[in-house]
Amino acid sequence: MTSLLGDQMTLMALKSASAGAVALAFGGAPLGVLMIARRLSLMGDALSHGILPGVAIAFLLAGRDPVALTVGALTAGLIVAGLSSLLARTGKLPDDASFAIFYLSALALGVLLLGKMGRADEMEALLFGSTQALDASGLVLAGAAASATLIGLALFLRGVLGEGADPVFMKTLGARFGLSHLLLMLLLALNLVAGFRAFGALMTVALMTVPAAAARFWAKGYGGQAAWAVALSAVSGLLGLFLADLWRVEPGALMTLCAALLFGVSALVGTNGGLLQTRPAKAHVRGLKA
Amino acid sequence: MAAIRERGVRVAGLSVGYDHHPAVVGLSGAFEPGSLTAVVGPNGSGKSTLLKALAGHCKPLAGRIDLGDLKPADIAYLPQVHGLDLKFPLTLEDLVGFGFIGRRGLFGGFARADRERLHDLMAQVGLEGLERRPIGSVSGGQLQRALFARVMAQDAKLVLLDEPFNGIDARAAEDLAQLMARWPEQGRTVIAVLHDLDLVRRLCPQSLVMARQAVAWGSTDQAISSEQLTRARKLAESWNVSDEPPVTVQHPEHV
Repeated sequence: MTSLLGDQMTLMALKSASAGAVALAFGGAPLGVLMIARRLSLMGDALSHGILPGVAIAFLLAGRDPVALTVGALTAGLIVAGLSSLLARTGKLPDDASFAIFYLSALALGVLLLGKMGRADEMEALLFGSTQALDASGLVLAGAAASATLIGLALFLRGVLGEGADPVFMKTLGARFGLSHLLLMLLLALNLVAGFRAFGALMTVALMTVPAAAARFWAKGYGGQAAWAVALSAVSGLLGLFLADLWRVEPGALMTLCAALLFGVSALVGTNGGLLQTRPAKAHVRGLKA
Repeated sequence: MAAIRERGVRVAGLSVGYDHHPAVVGLSGAFEPGSLTAVVGPNGSGKSTLLKALAGHCKPLAGRIDLGDLKPADIAYLPQVHGLDLKFPLTLEDLVGFGFIGRRGLFGGFARADRERLHDLMAQVGLEGLERRPIGSVSGGQLQRALFARVMAQDAKLVLLDEPFNGIDARAAEDLAQLMARWPEQGRTVIAVLHDLDLVRRLCPQSLVMARQAVAWGSTDQAISSEQLTRARKLAESWNVSDEPPVTVQHPEHV
């Protein structure tokens, strides 16, 4: 790790990391539920690599300046998200394939740029994060991303759900409704950028999608799943930070593992079709047959 | 509620098809405003293709469709196979609510009148109490009821239904057919591809018998005669996959 993390996180750093994790839960988890529902759970993953050239160029121009890194990442993320959304609208390729083309190109460009600069180690910081990077400006960004997501979803939820569940129907209403896909991409990029410097791009995506997957075992409708995903994501984030402080390691990976643990518990005991929940039903059917 | 239109839907010399192989050839006629027309005919006679063209999903190879002053938001189209992802975390109520998007725009989640209308629509299609059920957990008939409610939420002046009663239970089919039969009174023009000739005779005043072109088009009593249906079947049997009918189609761009 390239972080300058000392012996122990200061209380201040722990506090701001906690606030950042909660903001990420509110912004990212509702998007994660939509991505899973649209079978695009790997898209966040893809986007997390897609921001690399932006970060590399920003690093080249301005060094470790946090604002420059954020702007660079956001620009690259928006370009990758925007271009792949446009390509997806042609209907010639599945959404994930449209995405793969742009993120793979972006990843290659990023690797080339960082390699040319001799800073391949920056890639690790990008993907796995450093909580030291979560300063006041980072917190503001995380809060803004969460707010933008919640407001955007509240305003456009019907269109976003419609576009996800029944794109054929939405097409009959007119082309402008295809834009909800773009909205989803933009919000995803924004949340990813808000989280990547502190928790790492990959781990940020994990905190969006793993709790969202777990939420499927607790609720049936979108609203319920989104609420569960936010709660599970926030708990994973806070628990991960606490353990990271205790064991003096970077928190991103621990937060992700906590989310994975909660996923396992949900898949077992979740009230909406968890593995253990379906057993009594089967026994009941067997009873009827006997 | 939609006012009665002055003009209906007119087609003139309409040919529609895929890759220059026309499925509808030289169709001319009119669907009068506030009429209910059944489109019947053998398989492959161009019924679905006609509906797709009217819905604006495929462009005519030749000829014209005159929709009068209808805008896309005025047209509700229920295709034969819905494009719904049944695993999506969506309730029946959410699904029906999509019908409001066309009129309200993407912000359309908030009108109080819509909440009440949604409740009313669920009751009309017999889904009261099932509002919160996930779309993947209901029967085909219940899903079709919800899709009908969505069509009604669209409050469209032109309603296009492609075999809406196929593969659903008889009770649902009858309930939905009765609902459909009342739409013309509300000033809607309804065009439905149907198979059940008994249902067509009972509920549809107008019929179009198709075999790529119109074999008969007019009042159901006259159009749905055994003679016309035999003619349509014979025409259909005369088609051969390797022997496309000798039609010359004028492409607009070449005129």
